[in-house]
Amino acid sequence: MISKGATWNSNSCRIKFARRFVSALLHMRNRNTRPGSLTIEGVRTHTQRIKIAAYLSMAQAVGSRRAWSRAVLSKHGSRARRHSRMGRSSVGLKKTRVIRSYPPGELGQAKKLRQLVPGGKTMDMCSLLEETAHYIKCLATQVKVMQTLADNFSK
Amino acid sequence: MNRALPEMLHCLSGPGNGTDITVLERQRTRVKWQHQEQQNYFVGNFQDLVGDGRCGSVLRHVVTHSVKPDPGFEMNSTITRTSSCPHTEAQVAPEAKGKVSEPAEKMSSTVGRESYKKRKADKVQNTKVVAEDDAKDKRSKVCAEEGESKITTEQTRTKNTTTHPNNRETSADTSRENSKASEVQKPDYIHVRARRGQATDSHSLAERVRREKISERMKYLQDLVPGCNKVTGKAGMLDEIINYVQSLQRQVEFLSMKLATVNPRLDFNIEDLFAKEIFPACSANFPTIGSSSEMTNPAYLQINPAQQMVACCGLEMGVNTPDLMALRRTISAPVSLPETYFDASCFTQLQPPSTWDADLQNLFNLDSNQGRSISFPSQPFTGSIEASNLKMET
Repeated sequence: MISKGATWNSNSCRIKFARRFVSALLHMRNRNTRPGSLTIEGVRTHTQRIKIAAYLSMAQAVGSRRAWSRAVLSKHGSRARRHSRMGRSSVGLKKTRVIRSYPPGELGQAKKLRQLVPGGKTMDMCSLLEETAHYIKCLATQVKVMQTLADNFSK
Repeated sequence: MNRALPEMLHCLSGPGNGTDITVLERQRTRVKWQHQEQQNYFVGNFQDLVGDGRCGSVLRHVVTHSVKPDPGFEMNSTITRTSSCPHTEAQVAPEAKGKVSEPAEKMSSTVGRESYKKRKADKVQNTKVVAEDDAKDKRSKVCAEEGESKITTEQTRTKNTTTHPNNRETSADTSRENSKASEVQKPDYIHVRARRGQATDSHSLAERVRREKISERMKYLQDLVPGCNKVTGKAGMLDEIINYVQSLQRQVEFLSMKLATVNPRLDFNIEDLFAKEIFPACSANFPTIGSSSEMTNPAYLQINPAQQMVACCGLEMGVNTPDLMALRRTISAPVSLPETYFDASCFTQLQPPSTWDADLQNLFNLDSNQGRSISFPSQPFTGSIEASNLKMET
């Protein structure tokens, strides 16, 4: 359950994510050939796209091993269909209406946690905590990579 | 009147199964029986033995010995465990042994049960009580009158200790739950083969397992989330976790905004970017991989960023010979042309590294998910790359 090769996993995760994210950034840059990057709206949409790209590339780097990554991949579906290669084809599913069956547990805070962690709505407490742990790890590496990216760009 | 204990047990167990005799029934028979036998044999024999000054050891030997003739008593292992002295028949006088063994059976039962309780009970106090009983038990055998009273107190105390673990111990240690001892809740309540701590609840067992899982994961989360050590308890922990996740997500948003504003200036910075950004990521790879240690850190900073990325991935496989770097430099020449980011060939900048990775990974038998993760269409550089790969192999 709790991975023992944590250092190796986080590093490879980081590298995978970095590669994908940078390629996504370049791709996006290539796509917008300067339409109006100085407008606020332009910046906002660009921000949104970058954010989605960040989460997507992180989810792809993780693969379909984790429930939260599968949830992210299925949410932003089209690109995932191209890239995902794992056996579980949750990618092929369309956006079905998931009946929000909150499993009984501690309702107040667990609810909030479920909203934060992708795919946490239909998980029981145990797996929710596990997914949260992995999600936190991946988020932290994501933030680090983006931080160094931003630092290097702003120099 | 002086019936053997096994006979008494069998009489008791007449209606039911022989093995289903409750501990209580056994206790009762033994109490009765000991009252019968004690004055006659018990005192005399032990006073004989006391003269030898080997009472304690003899007692232990008798206990180990007497385990065998005990008919329906499954706690042999516990008794041998507690009294770890190897039995030697020579020390015990044959007549004495024959007569002492029977009261010792009863003693062994109580001792066994106490030791069994000692083994089973998680609570320290129970073990202390039981240990006290054991010590008192052994000491009391020296004098008969005290012995009798102590034995009766032991009986009551074992009854009390059985109730205590029942009420408090709800931990589902599956390794221990297959005990064959039945729990005696109340004196007039016959339990048959109820498992320990599981009397009516299979639900509580599952709940206990689930709760332990959750607490284990909470502990792991506590290590992950900084500053969580001060807060204890589930609610506070969850609050901390939620705050941390929210802050991380806010950071991601902020950084993406920063990248969005900065993005236009992507021209040549990406080279330094890779040099500095992936470098710390890679430097941590070295000890984990533990393969070749040929890479030198300053060498990376000289390399073109496309090569840097390749070098980074090659570093995962532990390959960084100077020849390789030279190869990469030769490759970078055609690659650098498409490094102008304003046309579709910006894809190709990253494609050779990805195929390079794939080839390298095939060479080094690593998981090729990384290389194939970027699934761009095939590109013209593969030919040159494979040529260079062949060069590298030699």
